[in-house]
Amino acid sequence: MELMNEIKIKSKNLNVYYGEKQALFDVNLDLNEKEVTALIGPSGCGKSTFIRCINRMNDVIDICKVSGNIEIDGVEINDKNLDVVSLRERVGMVFQKPNPFPKSIYDNISYGPKIHGKGETKSELDEIVENSLKKAALWEEVKDRLDEPGTGLSGGQQQRLCIARAISVNPEVILMDEPCSALDPIATAKIEELIDELKKTYTIVIVTHSMAQAVRVSQKTGFFHLGKLIEVGKTEKIFKNPDNKMTQDYITGRFG
Amino acid sequence: MNFVLIFLITIFSLSLFFYGRSKTKSISIEKNIKLNALPKFYGYYLVLWCSIPSLVFLLIWTLFEPVIIKSIIIETAANQGAIFNDKNEANLIYEKIKAIYAGTYFGDIDTILKESALSYAKFINLFTNSKIVLIFAIVIASVIYSLKKIKNNNKARDDVEVILKGLLFASSLIAILTTLGIIFSLLFESIKFFSVINIFDYLFGTNWSPQRAFVRDASAITAEEYDELKDAFGFIPLIAGTSFIAFIAMLVAVPIGLFSGIYMAEYASVKIRRISKPIIEILAGIPTVVYGFFAALTVGPFFRQIGENLGLTVSSESALAAGLIMGIMIIPYVSSLSDDVINSVPQSLRDGSYAVGATKSETIKKVVIPAALPGIIGSVLLAVSRAIGETMIVVMAAGLAANLTINPLESTTTITTQIVMILVGDQEFDSPKTQSAFALGLTLFIATLVLNYIAQRAVKKYREKYD
Repeated sequence: MELMNEIKIKSKNLNVYYGEKQALFDVNLDLNEKEVTALIGPSGCGKSTFIRCINRMNDVIDICKVSGNIEIDGVEINDKNLDVVSLRERVGMVFQKPNPFPKSIYDNISYGPKIHGKGETKSELDEIVENSLKKAALWEEVKDRLDEPGTGLSGGQQQRLCIARAISVNPEVILMDEPCSALDPIATAKIEELIDELKKTYTIVIVTHSMAQAVRVSQKTGFFHLGKLIEVGKTEKIFKNPDNKMTQDYITGRFG
Repeated sequence: MNFVLIFLITIFSLSLFFYGRSKTKSISIEKNIKLNALPKFYGYYLVLWCSIPSLVFLLIWTLFEPVIIKSIIIETAANQGAIFNDKNEANLIYEKIKAIYAGTYFGDIDTILKESALSYAKFINLFTNSKIVLIFAIVIASVIYSLKKIKNNNKARDDVEVILKGLLFASSLIAILTTLGIIFSLLFESIKFFSVINIFDYLFGTNWSPQRAFVRDASAITAEEYDELKDAFGFIPLIAGTSFIAFIAMLVAVPIGLFSGIYMAEYASVKIRRISKPIIEILAGIPTVVYGFFAALTVGPFFRQIGENLGLTVSSESALAAGLIMGIMIIPYVSSLSDDVINSVPQSLRDGSYAVGATKSETIKKVVIPAALPGIIGSVLLAVSRAIGETMIVVMAAGLAANLTINPLESTTTITTQIVMILVGDQEFDSPKTQSAFALGLTLFIATLVLNYIAQRAVKKYREKYD
């Protein structure tokens, strides 16, 4: 058995409620550092809700209540007194639909560093922008048109721009909420390649509807159903030889 | 008479509905065929055919009857020896004849008038009778035509669709024609004005005092008279006053409206929003005359009092009071429009900003507002055109004297106020003074049209960006 990386994020008895409705039930899930963890499951099973707890994006939704614990590097983040801004600086997020700001490519990337006071001089900012775009494998395509609007790029490029935007504040964790669901197969392949590269530096959690994608990019897979974490383990094991009947049924396409 | 006819047509059409419905039912049973539409559509079909042609005919007849009778009567009166030099005198005689017919004329009646009145009565009778006959003929013809169609089992549902489409088109045509009518009436009166006053003297003159413009005969103005006149119709003080008051109004309305719009869209909980949004919008429902006397009786004297305490001379009718109240009136336009455009900025952009660690106000300032900016500019421009066109508040609170001033404590006047002042009371419609109101109206119309156009373009551009 190969050596597992250290645990980066740990959730304990995590419950989430949207008003009266409970969306997550006692989720206990450990995510390893510098690894890709894929979360799979049918629509509405709570996988997106789970990753939105890791950077406290659920705070934006008024009726959402979260109880239980999430620790990052052993520090509890589900704490009223925690500085959400610095948490989100450490935990970046990429969304289902590419959502570049209606600003130039350059401003899209420099937005995050600027509000956190990183890159005080123009040349420092230039460097951050260049590095982020390079890491997101977009630099070669856009280096000559950094002042053009980010919304003018193709879907796949927009999504890589959003990944570059997430990278720009130098996070430790990147959450990806179905990052390829709005993209064509070629753009998807590029993003998957990129994820493989990024996991050397970052801890990545990806929600996906595509089981093939989970197999391709992840080392660990968690299967959610109706708000419960049914099974979690090495990706290979989950897809070849799952313990749970329900997991078996889902990955063989019998429901979902 | 017309009401009786309309009533009869309506009753008859409605009864045709039931007739058409049951008739087609019985046809389908009798001949054992499948109808091409539901029975009720045959009912509608009969109703529309019976009512529309006859009502349209009645409308056209009613519009043209007086005109035709008038020309006939004036001609017969002339044949009988009535003397009139111009159109006005002819009109006078025609009015006399009508009064005699109605029994409300108390002057001397000579033979010419008497004969004319008799022939007037004759023509009225003739026209009324022929109107009734023609309408019955039209009703019968169209009913026979439509009954024949029905018996042939036409596609009544599609036909009703076509007729309704025509009706809807006619309605929108009326709206368009009315707009054109307004524009042309403004245009023609303005052309009359500009044929007397040079357009450059009007546009660039710095003195507005139309009450000075006494002209004995507008059609023959001497050079000396014109020298007097051209100083009376200077547009600059009015546009300056209008812009100045609108500017003060925007100083009040834009920040307050925008900030409350941002609060409503971004911060207010559903509950607060549900209560406070209608309350703000009530401001838009207060009649402007109420704002007017609030400005004139409460705010104006209040500023005057403060000014006196500070040792300043404040006119009790000041641009400041009018502008301030106008600004308050406009707040709901800015706030609810900017609330709408901010709301239509996609949540995904906010999420993107939060996800890199921005706070709410940073997100609003750097992502939401820039994204919504074209829409916000559009809403501000709409508010400006509202401010420029506003009349009642400025009439009551801003004063009448056309001072060319930038002191907000003095009284000033606006384009709309002057239009009101010129057209209130008895007017000679051929004097440049009266015609100047139309020129002002046209200028104002063009100004607000341009503003609205730009505003709508801005709003539209913004919409396209996210759709």
